[in-house]
Amino acid sequence: MVYPEPLQRVWRALIGRHEVVVFTLVLVISAFLSLRTDTFFTWSNLSNISRAFSWIAIAAFGESMVIIIGGIDLSVGAVMALAGLISALCLQHGFPEPLAVIAGILTGGLVGWVNGTMVGRVRLPPFIVTLGTMSITRGIAFGLTGGWPVRNLPQGFRALGQYDLRVGFMSLPLPVIFMLGLAFLTGLLMSKTVLGSYIYTLASSERALLVSGVNVMQIKALVYTLCGVLTATGGVLMTARLGVAAPTAALGYELDIIAAAVIGGTSLSGGEGSILGVLLGAAVMQMLRTGLVLLGFSAYWQTATLGTMILAFILLDHWRRQS
Amino acid sequence: MKPLLRAVNLSKTFGTLPAVQQVSLEVYPGEVVGLAGASGSGKSALFMLLAGLYVPTGGDIYFEGRRLQCPFRARALGIEIIHQTPDLAERLDVTSNIFLGNEIGWPLVSKWLKVPNRRRMDKEAARILAQLDVHFDSLHEKVTNLSSEQRQLIAIARAMIRPAKLIIIDDPTLLLSYSFQQKLLSLIQAWQSQGTAVIFSSNNLDHLLAVTDRIIVLRQGRQIAEYRTDEAGREEIVAAMVGTTDRQQLTPIIWALDSYYRAREQAEKLRQSQLLLERDLASQDTLKRQLIDRLAEQINALDSANAALQDAQRRLLTELEQERKHLAREIHDQVIQDLLSVNYRLEELETGEVVTPALGAELADIRNTIRVLVDDLRHICGNLRPPTIDSLGLGAALQSYTHDWANRTGISVTLDLDANLGRLPEAIELSIFRIVQEGLSNVRKHARASTVQIGLRHTSPRTLMISIADDGQGLPDGFDLSTLSAKGHYGLLGISERVALLGGRLKLQNQAGGGLLIQAEIQHPRVAQSGGG
Repeated sequence: MVYPEPLQRVWRALIGRHEVVVFTLVLVISAFLSLRTDTFFTWSNLSNISRAFSWIAIAAFGESMVIIIGGIDLSVGAVMALAGLISALCLQHGFPEPLAVIAGILTGGLVGWVNGTMVGRVRLPPFIVTLGTMSITRGIAFGLTGGWPVRNLPQGFRALGQYDLRVGFMSLPLPVIFMLGLAFLTGLLMSKTVLGSYIYTLASSERALLVSGVNVMQIKALVYTLCGVLTATGGVLMTARLGVAAPTAALGYELDIIAAAVIGGTSLSGGEGSILGVLLGAAVMQMLRTGLVLLGFSAYWQTATLGTMILAFILLDHWRRQS
Repeated sequence: MKPLLRAVNLSKTFGTLPAVQQVSLEVYPGEVVGLAGASGSGKSALFMLLAGLYVPTGGDIYFEGRRLQCPFRARALGIEIIHQTPDLAERLDVTSNIFLGNEIGWPLVSKWLKVPNRRRMDKEAARILAQLDVHFDSLHEKVTNLSSEQRQLIAIARAMIRPAKLIIIDDPTLLLSYSFQQKLLSLIQAWQSQGTAVIFSSNNLDHLLAVTDRIIVLRQGRQIAEYRTDEAGREEIVAAMVGTTDRQQLTPIIWALDSYYRAREQAEKLRQSQLLLERDLASQDTLKRQLIDRLAEQINALDSANAALQDAQRRLLTELEQERKHLAREIHDQVIQDLLSVNYRLEELETGEVVTPALGAELADIRNTIRVLVDDLRHICGNLRPPTIDSLGLGAALQSYTHDWANRTGISVTLDLDANLGRLPEAIELSIFRIVQEGLSNVRKHARASTVQIGLRHTSPRTLMISIADDGQGLPDGFDLSTLSAKGHYGLLGISERVALLGGRLKLQNQAGGGLLIQAEIQHPRVAQSGGG
């Protein structure tokens, strides 16, 4: 079938935009699960899914920034756990709630800064550095609690993750509102500011930035720190939702977070990706997880499915680059 | 005055390979320092050190008296760098690359959270590119799609978006066409006049001689020599660059070469044959070695004689000019004045009462002869020493001379003078005047021309092109300059000798439409531009 020229151009532009591809995927999965199950297309299920992927998405915003500058952060899962734990411990020691939240987020920022400094200033490979800090962070989480979870968190703190804001007939979970707010802010940072432009340029033209007098080391340190801060925000929200801070929390989440970024169109070679794409990528991932459960598959298959998805999207990215 | 930049014993080694060894240099505000050296001499490595991109193995760099911690961000200190090959951000467009690291936008307080103001940046970029005489179809085109020359021009524009204290230029001319090379040279002069210091390296020695104040020569990573450009000779610099210490040996060769590139090539070849010869010598018997030694001595003696001859000829010409000046003054101040006073006395006699009509007519005839004599003497004086050249300069002297010549010979002359000719050193002005004089005399004697066009134009700030074109019969087939003296024709030979003694280049060729074109390119030292020309 031959379309008129302008239509073909629009079609090509739409196909060319990764966000459109992922959004289509969201629609297809939704349609499929709505037809196959009775429980998928209910407000409470959709609200639960969005709440569940909100902290993954928030961490993935940071992760995608790191990947765009040509790096990788494997410590995100452990940072989520430690940040939640630090907030919980602060609350246990009688700190006011805002202070406890800030302490948790600052912890994440600190780990991110260490990552960024090692990668930017000392020029160590990010994979090795973040593998090390992953281990250290998780170890501290275990060490601080002796392996036991911290319970009995105050109601005010738990409300951060559990409270639903009623807007008309809808009830929007608070973490989702945080996610949308942070998506807007990071999206603005990446698409409108000079820093965003440097971040996109860094992977392919680091030397050009260097000779132009841009402090590349500082940018790397800042991006990893921002990733730490965002991940820790996700971790605190997750802890508030669960009402318990366990050192084993968010185990293996680094895979989910990297998957959300990659499915959302962030190229592992750096230089490409968008916050909207990452948001949709996180949605696809959570829908897959929930969908597999609703369809009656064992939870063990989830990881395999996720891994396959990551590979498929990396392949897609590879083909697109080649063409 | 304190130096703006000071490098002390700077060294850089890659593995076991020393790229820069113990180089020390100082650059003062408003000074242009040239860096000469063959490829692989360590120029680019030195530039990377001065640009703060390499950490030196040894030595220190001071900027405005402060010791710099390497690596440093040069642009933050007010140092701009133009590299041999431009480093551009491929995914960004022309404007963004020009403003990379210096974006204009809002809010002003935060450099990174700034939202770039594209319209202002585009406008400013267009203004700077217009200064460079370069045009892009769109400023929003990604730089990946541009030619090497366009990319280099973007890198140059980047160095121009804000005033710098020091601009380091690492031979970007390799990627630039001739007109943009000249543009860059005039930019360097403009920067210098604004008080900006410039370190400039180029493989083209003419570029260095045209704009620099000092030239530092590097060889194999070491600082070999430093010259004041106005006092340095091309052959000296080349000798330092290629490593031949015997100047006498190099001089006659350099003399014959019309460009640095050929000089370098020849010197390299010489060095190689010298090496081969030395290697050969080691295996040869003593007798042969002695023979070669004697031969070398003779060549050296010949070279000395040659150099001495050139010196003598230069002296001779100077003395000749002095003598002519003296003679012209004698004739003008003594003989002509005496003749005029005789004329005056005759006039008194003529009006006296004792004079008969016959004697009066005789006296009037004598007085007429004296007037013709005075006119002839004045003409001879003018030829001996153009009267206007000392007071009004070359331009006025040429105008006056060509006007007289045209009236005398009936051949029409067009004179095209450079608007910025200014005053040149006396010897050079006189030589140029003599070249034109000889050229015109040649036209009158041999060319059978009806018009002559004389041009005097700068091809670079320190190079002057003299051209004399006529519409006559041109050079005969099989013309050979060296046979002229045997036939007693010294005009063209005189021109060629004068040009050679000024270290210039001469070209004689028949024009397509008939007639001879004489072109002489002469270098001259920097001179103050006089307002009146």
